[in-house]
Amino acid sequence: MLGEMLDGYTRSLLIFAGINAIAAYSFYAPYKTGQVSLGQAGFMAVGAYASAVLTHKFGIPFAAAVVFGGILSGVIGVVVGFPALRIKGIYLLLLTLGFSEIISVIALSWDYIGGAQGFRGIPFNQYTLDYVVGIIVVLILLFARIERSSLGRAMDSIHQDETAAEVMGIDVVRIKLFAFGLGAVIAGVAGALYAHQATYIDSSTFNIMVSVEILMFVVVGGGSTYWGPVFGAAVLNAIPEVLRSLRDWLEIVPVAWTNFYPMNRIYDSLHDFLDFENAKRLIAFGLILILMMIFRPDGLLTRDSLHRLRFWHRKARHA
Amino acid sequence: MIYQQLINGLMLGASYSLVAIGYTLIFGVLNLLYFAHGEVFMIGAFVGLYLVTLGGANIYVALLGAMIACAVLGVIAVYVSVRPVSKDRPLAPLISTIGLTIVIQNLAIYIFGGQQVAFPDTIKEQLYHIGPVTISSVQIFILAVAIALMVLLWLFIERTKMGRAIRATAENHETAALLGVDVNRVVLVTFIIGSGIAGVAGVLDGIKNSGISPYMGLGAAVKGLIVMLLGGLGNVFGAMVAGLLLGMIEILSSAYIGTTERDFFSFAILILILLYKPTGLFGTRTTEER
Repeated sequence: MLGEMLDGYTRSLLIFAGINAIAAYSFYAPYKTGQVSLGQAGFMAVGAYASAVLTHKFGIPFAAAVVFGGILSGVIGVVVGFPALRIKGIYLLLLTLGFSEIISVIALSWDYIGGAQGFRGIPFNQYTLDYVVGIIVVLILLFARIERSSLGRAMDSIHQDETAAEVMGIDVVRIKLFAFGLGAVIAGVAGALYAHQATYIDSSTFNIMVSVEILMFVVVGGGSTYWGPVFGAAVLNAIPEVLRSLRDWLEIVPVAWTNFYPMNRIYDSLHDFLDFENAKRLIAFGLILILMMIFRPDGLLTRDSLHRLRFWHRKARHA
Repeated sequence: MIYQQLINGLMLGASYSLVAIGYTLIFGVLNLLYFAHGEVFMIGAFVGLYLVTLGGANIYVALLGAMIACAVLGVIAVYVSVRPVSKDRPLAPLISTIGLTIVIQNLAIYIFGGQQVAFPDTIKEQLYHIGPVTISSVQIFILAVAIALMVLLWLFIERTKMGRAIRATAENHETAALLGVDVNRVVLVTFIIGSGIAGVAGVLDGIKNSGISPYMGLGAAVKGLIVMLLGGLGNVFGAMVAGLLLGMIEILSSAYIGTTERDFFSFAILILILLYKPTGLFGTRTTEER
């Protein structure tokens, strides 16, 4: 449907960017209560492997497998989230990181799901783009609804000060557990979508760096508003593509202009600079991350900036 | 057989200890999970490699060079990713050092290439048989350097004025500052020492495994984190002992149970410690809230 309008490259680009945005929401949900997880890749792995086993080994339809991947990941999320309630800060970071690594060790040593050879031949789903877009819309609506509800306010107050929230009569345990579990469900769905787009996964597909990238989307986009995760994922996925398309524009420059000494060097280095293979892309990401933390530690979008945007919009209409 | 495995475990553990010492020192004075430490270790290994292959240096010069280069990298890390970042947001310094991790690792991939590089033999391999145990000259060298570094560090921390300032800052930032400790300088010195030791650990790791790659940092970082936690956050002595302990546990579990299960054990230990004894085996030295 949606996918038929686009060429293969753009389609797969949009799908992976969309999966990143979904994964970013999986970090956002527990983060809203102040829980920082470096294990979202582990939950993605659970969803990916579970759904791949269902579609590949049992022939169960894609949609059902995605739902099951999300549910299983959510159940494991609650199991992990329960002990995680007792700890915070760096201890929680290490706990979630350890969980994610244990999942990847299990994936590596369990031969039924491919073991060291990885899981091959996962059926490709041609409607993944529709699913991805639909799920992102649902997530934005869900988190917009949560933000305006008493649940959202309770989550924010836990983020600000857990003890104060508890004193006010908020059921901190239940809400934190719910947020962690919700994050795990979303991560599981993202993993399941990934598996049926990439058609191959192995124990290193969902490594620590994936969890770090997920965290990065939310931090860059802005963790204080529900638009942040999708915005961060969109920006960070678009940067290398924009630079790559700039390079295509470079081809338009006539050869006669650039085939003599200083110009050819400049042209070549510009051409090199815009060639964004993975190492360079990640160097740029790292620099962006450091600069963001120095100049805009709350992310690109904050509640204030959104408010200002809305205000400005209203003023323009009245003028 | 078991003695041989214990010696191997000690070897593995020595490099874990050296990495974890830096972690725990830095965690102690800043309450910061300094992610880039594993990458400093990796850069140390590459500096050592290039000093030996391109500079024709012997192993002592390579160790010293790696130590200095990594100390400089530690200073850069402080000025780029720690000082300018605001302290009132607990996540900000963590994320900026994650950014630094990504930059260093991918710069290394970009410059050195993504493949594993062989580390040249710099020490004449000679085997000694002591009772049932066989130990090589390389192993003796690595253990000797590691132990010498740990003793020196211990003396520095316990006996010098700067060491006392580091301990005071680790115990309580504000109080130390009020009592006239220059906290910024303490942080800088801590980064220099921790990074220098990590650089040496990187070269030792290169000698031991006779191969290094830009990806070696992440694994070392994660193992260093586990050791730091096992020894108790901010506890330097704990990190030394816990490193050796984890090395032995890993070697024994891979010898008697299986190699793929080895990592499983270290992460299971991580999670058990987090849940049941978050102060580690030897007690924390910081005021971090759990």
